[in-house]
Amino acid sequence: MWCGILERKKLSDKKILKKAVKVAKKNGFDNVEIKVEDRVVYLTGRVNLWEDFLKIGSLTGKIKGVRGVVNNVDYPGKKRRERKKGRNEKIGEADVVIIGAGVVGCFIARELSKYNLKIILLEKAEDVACGTTKANNAMVHTGIGEKMGTLKQKLCVKGHKMFDKISQELNIPYKKCGMLILTTKETLSNYKIPSFISNFICRFIIPFILIRRGKKLGIFMEKIGRKKLLEKEPNLTRDVISGVYSPTYGITCPYLLTIALAENAVENGVDLLLNTEVVGIDVENGRVKSVLTDRGFIKTNFIVNSAGLYADEIAEMAGVREYTIHPKKGSTIIFDKETGNYINHSITFLKFPRVEHYKGGGIMLTVDGNIQWGPTIVEVEDKEDTSVTAEEIEHILKYYSHLLPNFPKNKVIAYFAGVRASTFTEDFFIEASKKVKGFIHVAGIQSPGLAASPAIAEMVVRILKNEGLFMKRKKNFNPYGRQRIHFRELNIEEKKRLVEKNALYGRIVCRCEEVSEAEIVDAIHGKIPAFSVDAIKRRTRAGMGRCQGAFCLPRIVSIISRETGIPPEKIVKDGKDSNLFAGRAKCFLEEKND
Amino acid sequence: MIEKDIAVIGGGPAGMASALKASENADVIILERNEELGGILPQCIHDGFGNFIFNRSVTGPEYAQHFINEIEEKEVDVRTDTTVLSIDENKKIIASNPDGILEIKAKAIILAMGCRERTRNQILIPGTRPAGIYTAGTAQRLINVEALMPGKRVVILGSGDVGLIMARRFALEGAYVEGVYEIMPFPGGLIRNVVQCLEDYGIPLHLSHTVINISGRKRLDGVTVARVDEKLKPVKGSERFIPCDCLILAVGLIPENELSKKIGLDIDKRTLGVIVDEGMETSVPGIFACGNVVHVHDIVDDVTISAERAGEGALKYIRKGYAHNEEIRVIPGKNVRYVVPQILRRKDFDKITFYFRVVKEEKNVSIKISDENDVIFERRERVVTPSEMIKVEIHSSLIYERSAKQLRIDVIGDE
Repeated sequence: MWCGILERKKLSDKKILKKAVKVAKKNGFDNVEIKVEDRVVYLTGRVNLWEDFLKIGSLTGKIKGVRGVVNNVDYPGKKRRERKKGRNEKIGEADVVIIGAGVVGCFIARELSKYNLKIILLEKAEDVACGTTKANNAMVHTGIGEKMGTLKQKLCVKGHKMFDKISQELNIPYKKCGMLILTTKETLSNYKIPSFISNFICRFIIPFILIRRGKKLGIFMEKIGRKKLLEKEPNLTRDVISGVYSPTYGITCPYLLTIALAENAVENGVDLLLNTEVVGIDVENGRVKSVLTDRGFIKTNFIVNSAGLYADEIAEMAGVREYTIHPKKGSTIIFDKETGNYINHSITFLKFPRVEHYKGGGIMLTVDGNIQWGPTIVEVEDKEDTSVTAEEIEHILKYYSHLLPNFPKNKVIAYFAGVRASTFTEDFFIEASKKVKGFIHVAGIQSPGLAASPAIAEMVVRILKNEGLFMKRKKNFNPYGRQRIHFRELNIEEKKRLVEKNALYGRIVCRCEEVSEAEIVDAIHGKIPAFSVDAIKRRTRAGMGRCQGAFCLPRIVSIISRETGIPPEKIVKDGKDSNLFAGRAKCFLEEKND
Repeated sequence: MIEKDIAVIGGGPAGMASALKASENADVIILERNEELGGILPQCIHDGFGNFIFNRSVTGPEYAQHFINEIEEKEVDVRTDTTVLSIDENKKIIASNPDGILEIKAKAIILAMGCRERTRNQILIPGTRPAGIYTAGTAQRLINVEALMPGKRVVILGSGDVGLIMARRFALEGAYVEGVYEIMPFPGGLIRNVVQCLEDYGIPLHLSHTVINISGRKRLDGVTVARVDEKLKPVKGSERFIPCDCLILAVGLIPENELSKKIGLDIDKRTLGVIVDEGMETSVPGIFACGNVVHVHDIVDDVTISAERAGEGALKYIRKGYAHNEEIRVIPGKNVRYVVPQILRRKDFDKITFYFRVVKEEKNVSIKISDENDVIFERRERVVTPSEMIKVEIHSSLIYERSAKQLRIDVIGDE
């Protein structure tokens, strides 16, 4: 069977417990109680600090053979989330209910839509791709940066190879721009070793190890000397020592991909329920029975838990929690397109000692022509903490700047943070629950989750089959996504024809990204309608340019209002509670007069 | 293909004034991306415009209307709702509007695209990205044109004129303006605006303060402000959280030069605008620039005056063609941040006006213009501040009768 446990040595629960107790003692965690069941470590008790909570989780997660860590250790100030109330009204029935419409959930939905099944995809937000999916570096990794033998590596290597086909079918941007993995004078600067030795390591040993690793995984890579590197990337630091070139490294647009997947899934019969939050799961006789949401319940025999950051809470609802998600934030800075030609490949460099479970980020190309620096990696307490701190901004601008010493760093146009849904075992957790039949875990999908997502979907289909879901291929499955028109990408003749057909293509609403009114109207009336300013932004790029919507926001608001009938003052930035306006002009004066 | 003598990109105050001047003797087209002419003026419903041009204070829409009327009278070819997509060095323009894609060939082009506002990203304010953060100009459009209130409890960062005017606007709308925060030790806008927009409404101005964090998940719930030291770095311990649902950013304007950069025009690192000579001609012959594309002005009257010169320059160009002398560079000297024009190279204007700003406020100063050897012009000023542009007009013969290679402008204090 294709499981996460494949590569892990099977230790007995007793042995794991012994090791866990030892490691806890050694690190002074006397108030933590440890239980092991089916190679999942359950931690309870109390520590003094959130950092200690993380530490004991990571320490036990590292023990060989551990499948998962459920960390219920308490610490002062630990926040508890209140669960919403459900509605006791049947709103549907399905063969499979997928929870979470990020890239993974949408991929699974689309994969399942190839079969004659009734599928419901649930999403608590008002749009797909609203969580981790929308805020990452868009890298389609090859798998070279992952720990050898992990499930995430295996699925990444496989998923990466599937991107050519999927991007063509769905008409989404995907570029194999290549990646340069470099060693520089910084690489070993933390060690006090003679420079000729560190030079030797950087020049020969590190590239050798990387290339050998690539060979094992079937990833073509080549060593590039300093001189050739500087030819390939003239703006690169003179401090570069050597590098490895990975030509198949890719970039995509994660939200356009996810929207296209969801639209294609819907096209092929999947029911997508937005604004629908799961609040409970009914289990009867050891088998899932229904999913309870804030809008009503859905009867089903199979649940796929692809709830990302909330996967642990969803599993808890079914009583099958086998992992705790500890969120790790990553912040990225985006630069003006004007700087887009500054490099020809994505660039990363190795720095030792390495931060655990972190590939180090880098200076990356995007499919839109901007350059991005980052991401960082920071443990956060709050799953929704997408703030970018002053320290992170400073760190990014400092850490990567030695790679491109003369880069115009004042051309920042935006920065954002996304949160990784990591487990303490720091690997994907994809398997059918043994305790509750019909519950499929798809958890711990952190980097390289985007690259792995097509392979994850295939794996989930296989698991469902094994679990007894009867699956019959549809004859009329339509694999093709519709062509989304991006006015800025067309040549003048194509533009002329388009404007002749639809005059609204001639009116440019977002001047920075050259987005026409027709594209915005199209997004509003899409298969998955975009009613918020950010939903339109994700589909069209309106507002993503250098003025960050200062010019187009009022115009987009009036277009949304005109097309949907929503009064302008009620229009939101990004879903519930994100109202753009406090009311109509003069409304406060009227309040006072009342 | 539309063939024109002169194409003007942008129908704001600069574009209109230059087009009017040029249309005295040429076939002119104005390309404007908004649905109406006027640029930013229609949303500036306060008064204070026109003191120099009309000798009285009028509102923005009135100021604009004056020029719109003249343009209608002169029957200038105006295309609104039209965005220029590209311009090449052969002066071929591609523009887009709902009627189709326009291809325009012009003998001369005048760039008058104006400027855009800096955002919270350009000044690297950390924090989240909730709804409720607007640049001052966007907020002004929302309130005055769209009739939408951006927020109820407002913090304003930046005391440039737009920030000050918006503080008053919010107060008039019944919103609570918590205060205006300015990172510099002096206000960014005109003194008259500090008095009329803040003091008259009891709105506090916090100098040497800035916003160091933005918080709120979906909608802004507050900002953290802090005092800054001489190096403009936040002072530890001075942080203060201010609950608010709206942050207005008036943190500077940047000349809008994306088209100019694509043509390959030379840009001044100090002004971030295109480099021009005394006839407002750029580094590509036949392409002229005026208004905030060249440098950010305080007063629209100055935009109009310099734009007329661009119109005149373009007229001279299409009549006589390329006629440049050897370049004289104009260098910002002591306490001068920038000077426009940056180069002098033509004898076809009798008078040259230098526009410049000082780096820091100073009292009782001498403004001196000198070449390699001598001071050729001197003027006394009681007070100079960075927020108020200085103008000096001299006869061009004063310069061209010498064989200077460069000029220097200094602002020198008494001691």
